Amino acid sequence: MTDLYARVEGKVGNITFNFEHSFNSKGITVLYGPNGAGKSTIISAIAGFSKNLKTTITYKNVDFESSNKVPAYKRPFGTMFQNPILFEHLKIKDNLEFAEKRKKFSINSEKIIPKKELIDHLDLVPLLERYPEDLSGGEKLRVVLARTILTKPAYLFLDEPMSEIDIRYKAKLLIFLKMINRKYKIPILYITHSLEEISQIADELILINKGKKIDYGILPEILNNKSFQSLIGKFESSSVLEGTVIASNDLLNITTLDINGQKLIIPGNPASEGNNIRVRIRSRDILVSPIKLTSPVVENELEGLILKVEKENNTAFTEVVIALVNSKTNELAQKIRARVTTYNYQKLNLNENSRVFVYISSVSIDRQAYQSN
Amino acid sequence: MEIYNLLSSDISAIFITLKLALITCFFLAIIGTPLAYYLAFESKRSKSFLEAIVTLPLVLPPTVIGFYLIVFFSPDTSLGKFFIMLTGEQLIFSFHGLVLASIIYSLPFWVQPLQSSFEKIGKDTIRTAYTLGASPLDTFKNIIIPLSKRGFLTSFIISFAHTMGEFGIVLMVGGGIHGKTKVIAISIYDHVEQLSFGKAHFLAAGMLILSFIILLSLFYSNRTRVVGIK
Repeated sequence: MTDLYARVEGKVGNITFNFEHSFNSKGITVLYGPNGAGKSTIISAIAGFSKNLKTTITYKNVDFESSNKVPAYKRPFGTMFQNPILFEHLKIKDNLEFAEKRKKFSINSEKIIPKKELIDHLDLVPLLERYPEDLSGGEKLRVVLARTILTKPAYLFLDEPMSEIDIRYKAKLLIFLKMINRKYKIPILYITHSLEEISQIADELILINKGKKIDYGILPEILNNKSFQSLIGKFESSSVLEGTVIASNDLLNITTLDINGQKLIIPGNPASEGNNIRVRIRSRDILVSPIKLTSPVVENELEGLILKVEKENNTAFTEVVIALVNSKTNELAQKIRARVTTYNYQKLNLNENSRVFVYISSVSIDRQAYQSN
Repeated sequence: MEIYNLLSSDISAIFITLKLALITCFFLAIIGTPLAYYLAFESKRSKSFLEAIVTLPLVLPPTVIGFYLIVFFSPDTSLGKFFIMLTGEQLIFSFHGLVLASIIYSLPFWVQPLQSSFEKIGKDTIRTAYTLGASPLDTFKNIIIPLSKRGFLTSFIISFAHTMGEFGIVLMVGGGIHGKTKVIAISIYDHVEQLSFGKAHFLAAGMLILSFIILLSLFYSNRTRVVGIK
């Protein structure tokens, strides 16, 4: 289902735009691409600040760019720019009120988040009576986020909102964004460079490079696509697995996930039993073996089947895409990407359709495992 | 008795000067503010032309401006005729002519501080206000004006002081008619010419002290906290 359609063409600087997309009206869509790919320009254009671009922006069958152009301040979008700005002459509470008073967008009562809930979630209470100049970068960002949400947007556009937030708070904010997306049904279009953020928050990914959309799809699919791998570079090559918490051990501080019937132990206790969690695993942290090891030294052993082999030219490496096997139904389930040396790949006699076992040390799993749904 | 006469003539000059400066600032606020806004945020090259015209009075010798104003204000021109039709009075050697001339030569003094103040606020702040649903007028009233209070104050003080101190143009356009277009600067000149140094001292010292106090208060207030002032 889609309400929002955008077409952006033209030239800005040395980027030639030729972008077209029908945005999902649910979930969180991440716009990902290298620096200078034109991500911010696209968001600005949708928000109504296109500079010398030929754009078509349609929302609920209304053409915003027709001869009867809808100006930025009348568009039902909440936009948070990369360099978030607070009005320096207003206290934080008045900054929030500025947006609240002008909330022209209330479209649908289920999309309305109570102000108090917003202030509590983002820990703004101690900031309300202060002026922007007395706030840290991270604090400003939280205020700007709250202020944007108070406009009751039909879509929320966030341009690298976490750049100033420290890692511990980031986890909290990502959960918050997911919550407002799920509970209040506000679709989010999110720009980020961070794979960590993508793996935790994205439902769908749009890959963009040099002003063009080069791939689009749901997160696990795109992560395993070559288009994505070529954008992020081999060092960051990784996969995301989603599983349900089936046990957690407080004493040892570990959590066991069920990944389609197979078990994965991760460090920490990020969520209680029954919750879904996503974990990101780097391709270079995965060991692949054609036989089941009798005494593996790492915590996790998962069974799978090699779906695809990508030998790299001029490097020592080969990447293999492995589909994990659902232990109950024996069907192929989530995919995982492993990076091996071509030397070992040949020595172990791996091939497409080989049954393999993958071994993952829990230490290599990123500790920020956030609640997924 | 003589002292009384002296004071009454000088007091009229002081009164005319202050009236001229205030009225000029009033019109500058109306004309110069939108101009400053346009120059601050317009990115088209064509704005350079306007910018150059607005700045001209800053670099031209006052006599050049005075000369052209006399030419344009003359009752033979359409402007002069129009003004006579409107008020029954000619522009040249009138207080109205003085106001018009002051607006023209003080324009850069109003526009420039305000323009740089607007530029400092930046386009991103304006865009942010738009994304929150504020119309351009709403944004100007509730964001731009409060954020550029200091710019307005500077523009006002500089334009006021400059208008008060101008001599050449005022003499050429106004003619220094007592009780009508004779401002303090011209009074001082007359006193000095008549070698009445005592009278000149009285006015000159007044101007000096007033100007110093104005500038002092401007610089002092610039040092205090800009934000948070209600």
